[in-house]
Amino acid sequence: MNARQASGGIVVLAALAALPLFIRSDYLLGILSVCFIYGIWATSWDFMSGLTGRENFGHALFIGAGAYTAAFLNGKLGFAPWWGLPAGAAMAGGLSLVIGIPTLRLRGPYFALAMLAAATIMQRLTLIFWQYSGGEEGIPGLDPLLESKAAVYYLCLGVFVAITFLLLWLAGSHWGLILRSIRGDEAAAQAAGINVTFHKIAALVVSAFCAGIGGVLYAHYQEAVTPDVFSVALSISIIIMVYVGGIGSLYGPAAGAVVLALLPELLRGLGQYRLWVYSLVLIFILFFAPGGVIAPLWRRVTGAS
Amino acid sequence: MNALLEVEGLNKRFAGLVAVNDVSFTLASGEIAGILGPNGAGKTTLFNLLTGFLPRDSGRVRFEGKDLAGHAPHQIVNRGLARTFQLCRPFAGMSVLENVMVGCLAPRARSQEAPLARARAILEAVGLAHRAAAPVEVLPYGDLRRLEIARALATKPRLLLLDEPFAGLGTSEIEPISALIRRLHAAEGLTILLIEHRLREFMQLVSRVIAMDFGRVIASGTPAEIVRHPRVIEAYLGRDDAADPAAEADEAPHGTA
Repeated sequence: MNARQASGGIVVLAALAALPLFIRSDYLLGILSVCFIYGIWATSWDFMSGLTGRENFGHALFIGAGAYTAAFLNGKLGFAPWWGLPAGAAMAGGLSLVIGIPTLRLRGPYFALAMLAAATIMQRLTLIFWQYSGGEEGIPGLDPLLESKAAVYYLCLGVFVAITFLLLWLAGSHWGLILRSIRGDEAAAQAAGINVTFHKIAALVVSAFCAGIGGVLYAHYQEAVTPDVFSVALSISIIIMVYVGGIGSLYGPAAGAVVLALLPELLRGLGQYRLWVYSLVLIFILFFAPGGVIAPLWRRVTGAS
Repeated sequence: MNALLEVEGLNKRFAGLVAVNDVSFTLASGEIAGILGPNGAGKTTLFNLLTGFLPRDSGRVRFEGKDLAGHAPHQIVNRGLARTFQLCRPFAGMSVLENVMVGCLAPRARSQEAPLARARAILEAVGLAHRAAAPVEVLPYGDLRRLEIARALATKPRLLLLDEPFAGLGTSEIEPISALIRRLHAAEGLTILLIEHRLREFMQLVSRVIAMDFGRVIASGTPAEIVRHPRVIEAYLGRDDAADPAAEADEAPHGTA
C-alpha cells in the first residue's frame, strides 16, 4: 500500500464517519446502513470466490442463516439481540462446512450448484415449516441492536470496515497467496504441495462467517426477517456488485456494493424509469469494463500497482 | 546407494486401454535417470500415478521405504516427491516470485527460513532473479520452464520428476536448462527422473534409461546400452528397419521420438 492509497482510504473513511453530522434524516442513515451491510456481503463473497475462483451462486444461504438465527433467538426465544451476532455467524459457518466439505473436493460446477440449490431449499423450508418460521411474513418484532439510527449507522459502518480490513489483510498474507494460486491452477497448486481442498473450505467458512454477521445486522436493522434473505435475486445482486467493483480486489466489491445499493435511491427522481436506468448502467459496466470499475479506477487514481 | 523409489507391478487402464502395464523399477538415491518411449508409451501416465494425480489400479509405489498408497498429490509432494508438468502451468495473475513463494508455503518447506528469502534464493539458483517481479504472463517459454522447475524445487524435494523439461524450447534454449538440471543434481543432491523426447540432450543428461513401449518397460540400462537394445530399436523404427536410434541420438538436432 502506498501513501496515496493510505491517504485516500483515510479520506473515504473520515467522510463516511462524518456523514451523520450532516445527514439528519433517519431514513437516509438507514439506507446507508443497509449499503454497508451489502458491502459486508460482497466483500465476503469476493474473499472466497474472487480469490480461489470458485463461484458461489448462493451466498444468500449464509445471509439467511445469520438472519433467521438472529430472529429465532431474539424474536421467538427472547434472547438479547447481541446473541445473534456470534450465533448467526456460527450457524452460517456450520452450513458452509455442510456444503463445502462434500462439494469443494470435486472439480466442476458442483459447489456453485450446491450453493444455489441449498439457498433455494432453505427459502422453501421457511414456507413449509411456517409454524416455526412465520412463512411468507417471516418473523417480525425483533429488537434493534441499538436505539438511534445514527448508532446503528456507526455499528454497520464499523463492522463493515473491520471485516473489509480483516479480509484484505488475510488476502495479502501467505494464506491469500495460497488461495490465489488455487484460482491460477488447481493441479499446479497441488503439485506445489498445497492442500487445495482444505484451503477452499477454510476460505468458504471465513466468507460464510462474515456473511452471517451481515445477515444478523440486516435482520435487526429491519426488525424482522422474511424468506427473501435466502433468495436467488439477493445472491445474484451480490455477484453483480462484486463484478462492478472489480473481482478479487476485495476493496472494489466493498465500494461497489455500497454504490450499487445506493444507486436505486439516487435515481429515485427518475420515478418509474429508475430500474431501467439502473439496469442499463449495469449492462454498460459489465459490457465495457469486464474487469470492474471501482478497483481499476482506484488503482489509477492512487497509482497503486 | 539405497533405493529411494521402488515401483512394483504398477498398472493403469483407461476403459480397456492399458496405459501402464506391470511396470517395475527402482531409483537409487542420487541417481539421474530418464524414461524413454514413443508417444503413447505411458510415460506421463506413469508420472501421474507416482505423484497421486491418477489413482492406480494395482501395484505398489514405495518412497523412502514407505508405501504411497492412498496419498493425495499434495501429501506426496510433502513427503519429498515433486514434479513439473509437460505444459507449463504457472499461476496466472501472479508474479514470478509469488509463484515460487507458493511452493515455499508447502508444509514440508515451511519450517526453516522465511518463505520470501527462500523464494528469492531459488530464483537466483534457476537464473530467474531478474524476473522476480514480472507477471508470469509476460515470460518467454524458456523462463516458464525454469519457473516450473523453481516451483517444484521450492517444496524441498528429494526426488524430482521432470515431464519433458525441454518441451517447446528451441535448440539454443535447451543447453542452459540441461545445465541447470545437471547443477541441481550435483549441488543439491537431488534424485531426478525425467521424461524427454530430445534424444541427444536426454542421453547426455541421464546415467540410466528406462525404455517403455505400450505401457511396458521394455529395457533398462545405460544410454549406450539402450540405443543398441533390439527392443528399443524395434519400438522406434519398426522391426525391419536397418537404422538404429544410436545414429539419431548422435546426429539429429531435433531428435523427436
